[in-house]
Amino acid sequence: MGSDTSNEKLKDKKDPHDEVMTGHEYDGIGELDNPPPRWIMALFYLTIGISILYGAYYFWLDIGENQDQQYLTKSAKHDEIYKQANTPTAEMKLLTDEGSIAEGKAIFTEMACSACHGLNGEGNAIGPNLTDEYWINGCSFTNVHDMIKNGNSIKGMTAFKDRLTEEKIAKVASYVLVSLKGSNPPNAKAPQGVICK
Amino acid sequence: MEDQKVIYDNKTVKLFILATLVWGIVGVLVGVVIALQLRFPAFNFGLEFTTFGRVRPVHTNAIIFAFVGNAIFAGVYYSMQRLLKTRMFSDLLSKFHFWTWQLIIVLAAVTLLLGFTTSKEYAELEWPIDILIALVWIAFGVNMIGTTVIRRVQHIYAAIWWYIATFVGVAILHVVNSFELPISLFKSYSLYSGAQDAVVQWWYGHNAVAFFLTTPFLGLMYYYLPKAAERPIYSYKLSIIHFWSLIFLYMWAGPHHLLYQALPDWAQALGVTFSIMLIAPSWGGMINGLLTLRGAWDKVRDKAELKFLVVAVTAYGMSTFEGPMMSIKFVNQLTHFTDWTIGHVHIAGMAWNGGIVFGMLYWLVPKLFRTKLYSEKLANAHFWIATLGILIYAIPLYWSAVTQWLMLREYTPEGFLAYPNFLETLTQILPMYTFRILGGTMFMIGFLLMVFNLAKTMKAGSMVAQEEAYAPVLVELGARDPKKEGMHRFLERKSVRFSIVAFIVLAIGGAVEIIPMTFVKSNVPTIEAVKPYTPLELAGRDIYVSEGCYNCHSQMVRPFRWETDRYGEYSKIGEFVYDHPFQWGSRRTGPDLARAGVVGGPMYKNAAWHYNHFMDPQKMNEQSIMPKYSWLAEKDIDLDIIPVKIRAMQKLGVPYPDGFDKIAVDDLKKQASGIVADLKASGITADPNKQIIAMIAYMHKLGRDISTPAVNDSTNMATAKVVVETLPTTPADLNSGKEIFGKLCASCHGPEGKGQATFPNLTDDVWIHGGTPTDVVNTITNGYPVKGMLPFKSQLSDQQIKQVASFILNSLKK
Repeated sequence: MGSDTSNEKLKDKKDPHDEVMTGHEYDGIGELDNPPPRWIMALFYLTIGISILYGAYYFWLDIGENQDQQYLTKSAKHDEIYKQANTPTAEMKLLTDEGSIAEGKAIFTEMACSACHGLNGEGNAIGPNLTDEYWINGCSFTNVHDMIKNGNSIKGMTAFKDRLTEEKIAKVASYVLVSLKGSNPPNAKAPQGVICK
Repeated sequence: MEDQKVIYDNKTVKLFILATLVWGIVGVLVGVVIALQLRFPAFNFGLEFTTFGRVRPVHTNAIIFAFVGNAIFAGVYYSMQRLLKTRMFSDLLSKFHFWTWQLIIVLAAVTLLLGFTTSKEYAELEWPIDILIALVWIAFGVNMIGTTVIRRVQHIYAAIWWYIATFVGVAILHVVNSFELPISLFKSYSLYSGAQDAVVQWWYGHNAVAFFLTTPFLGLMYYYLPKAAERPIYSYKLSIIHFWSLIFLYMWAGPHHLLYQALPDWAQALGVTFSIMLIAPSWGGMINGLLTLRGAWDKVRDKAELKFLVVAVTAYGMSTFEGPMMSIKFVNQLTHFTDWTIGHVHIAGMAWNGGIVFGMLYWLVPKLFRTKLYSEKLANAHFWIATLGILIYAIPLYWSAVTQWLMLREYTPEGFLAYPNFLETLTQILPMYTFRILGGTMFMIGFLLMVFNLAKTMKAGSMVAQEEAYAPVLVELGARDPKKEGMHRFLERKSVRFSIVAFIVLAIGGAVEIIPMTFVKSNVPTIEAVKPYTPLELAGRDIYVSEGCYNCHSQMVRPFRWETDRYGEYSKIGEFVYDHPFQWGSRRTGPDLARAGVVGGPMYKNAAWHYNHFMDPQKMNEQSIMPKYSWLAEKDIDLDIIPVKIRAMQKLGVPYPDGFDKIAVDDLKKQASGIVADLKASGITADPNKQIIAMIAYMHKLGRDISTPAVNDSTNMATAKVVVETLPTTPADLNSGKEIFGKLCASCHGPEGKGQATFPNLTDDVWIHGGTPTDVVNTITNGYPVKGMLPFKSQLSDQQIKQVASFILNSLKK
């Protein structure tokens, strides 16, 4: 093929190796005797060096943490950052001030509690009525707070402990007990559970 | 010496070219269809045969093995004869190779759509087809090495080295990854389990990329690029160095597909480091290609085939840098399970593999048909539309990956996941999927332009099926003279020895990883709580495999806080010991399911939810893109094969008790009726024989064993039982018991303990878990979380539990 013409052009580039090697011609394809560019060899040795250091760091010298330790360390840091929000600040109790109740209502809407308990807490096919005096899991503040917090996955009640702080849960629970309970909305679902006052 | 006449076989080359074009159209079209499915679930067409989970493997297999495979064979059969100045070794083997390969492709498409799959990515085909593939591959190898033996050229050229590595590499990979135990003509279980299966599969998967999509293409590049550019190869020395280093290192890098997953740290470290070391050997190929073009860049401007080759080689360089970067653990947490990987493989597949194939065909077809290309203009149009299409395809996917990753790991100031619902992150990236459809369609249009252009070219020209040429006879040189001939030069004229050396170099990496994973016990620490699948769960698991659920759902929680908060505890190696095959997945289009059975965990959904969700996912989540699986409620569980499955699992080492196969069907029916009763309580009437019941059972098995106390079934119960002789019966105790009952128990068992829905009546003489004081106290203490009975040991004192038990047995039961 064109090995002759290509040689002429290549000679202009003054590369001492740009001669087609003898005996290196295959179906017209020639091969040049150029050494590999130095930088690619340097890169190769560099990556080998990095790999050896990597092995040393994590295994032979045992400086780096393994996967399980890494998780524990990072998780501990995470908990440290968000510590305040994750631990109950004080003993939670029923809040009756208007501000807290209004906030509780906002959270009730935002968390889509109405999807299962109805817009006004009247209950629907999925969740029970929150406005009457019959309660399946108790009607004390602690009962309601716990139910919102931990849920009951078998019956379909979502646990909100991973989405709401203790304080916010207390506000929703207060909203349920102060505003919703005894509100007699229309279309209320039939009572479930036991009387609880 | 007088030249000998050689007759080249052009007919086989032509057949492979035609097959490349036909399967290429199919593969790309199927790709566009699944891109549509991911954006608009209606394109799943509501049929089991056309859901994404079944069609996606058709796309990947069609592109890799049908389109790319046939293109490789076309390129190899043409170049090899000319590089070795001989006809292929055997016409019969050539014929067998071509026709059986096409048969395999047709069988693949049909069986995959029917749901026959091993679920191992790019190796989904079931065992009879695996055997067929092995036969064809051996035929190809014999034909190829045979051709090198009868050659008329002293040395084998670099392109041939790569062809030989391809044959040897794929042979090793295919055989080792296909060890499976057949239970019927269309179903087998992988001999490996869990983490071992994962290591073998991704050693295969990664090296399928290496030895099907890289080494043969480097071989093609070494022939067609200098041919089209009419330039000599830049550096013979570089050819040698990057060839041996690449084929040696590649085989080790497989575990980079399993970073941060349930795999020993040492295996992951090999995946990371060997990927990093692969940068230079890969770039060696790119550099040797690009520097070969020195002085020929003016031709690149004019000729579409060279443009394609240049873009291909450049994309190869980019992808082989990106790949090692993605193998760095920190980067991998972003790129794995997101669209980054999809973008990466499509740049490599469309630009590198596509580019080489297109460049080769634009050069080869006119040559073969002794005419000029029908239209240079059309070819250039193809080039630009394809290049633009690739960018429009890939860039939005990178964008999507970063967006989703940032959303997944975002926390609110209070320390909660900002987007606890996976679907929110998916909804956010759906617009990017529209761009993917556009980019893919452009690529397809370019492809069609090429097919038209080449068809016209073929019509205008005429091919000589048996082409004559002349070449001198080969004179054997005999033993090596160390002063005159280097080791490698010597090896280049001993092709069989060359192949053996390549085999040894290739075998090392896989052996070092797979043998310890399979035979060294400490690499797979067992977890005692993990129990084999019940027959119903196993049936469900096989349906999960068959429907290709792994194409969208992973079962692998990585040790990141944003994963454990979202899904639950991170996955451990010992959890997967009974998984034949493993189902870790590689892309999350839907949420991870590893913890779907953890009662009280963030991923748990009750039976009714699953039922409704399988029937119509959009009813449960309006924005879900999951296809409907309503036929699961119509199709029966195959009961006849259940005992066979149990016996197969026993053979694979799953510790079912002796004779369990005989009672397996009864066990299955019993568990199914429990789920049906559970559904009934939620107002759903279901048939216990249907597949949907098995799927629900499987969903509820996922992660259950390590999440609940060891005391979760009757066999374990015995050891943990507290023996209770008498219960407190004073009025005060009974009153206290009544009060607790009202608070905690009545919601399920009714205020009078008469039971409701699936929750049993406590006032009659029928007791599911026993009616003695000991039984009742233990049931209340430890619960039966799987059946819905909660454990109360953390909420009640021992005395309170006894009081409740006493109230139940003395006051209620009358």
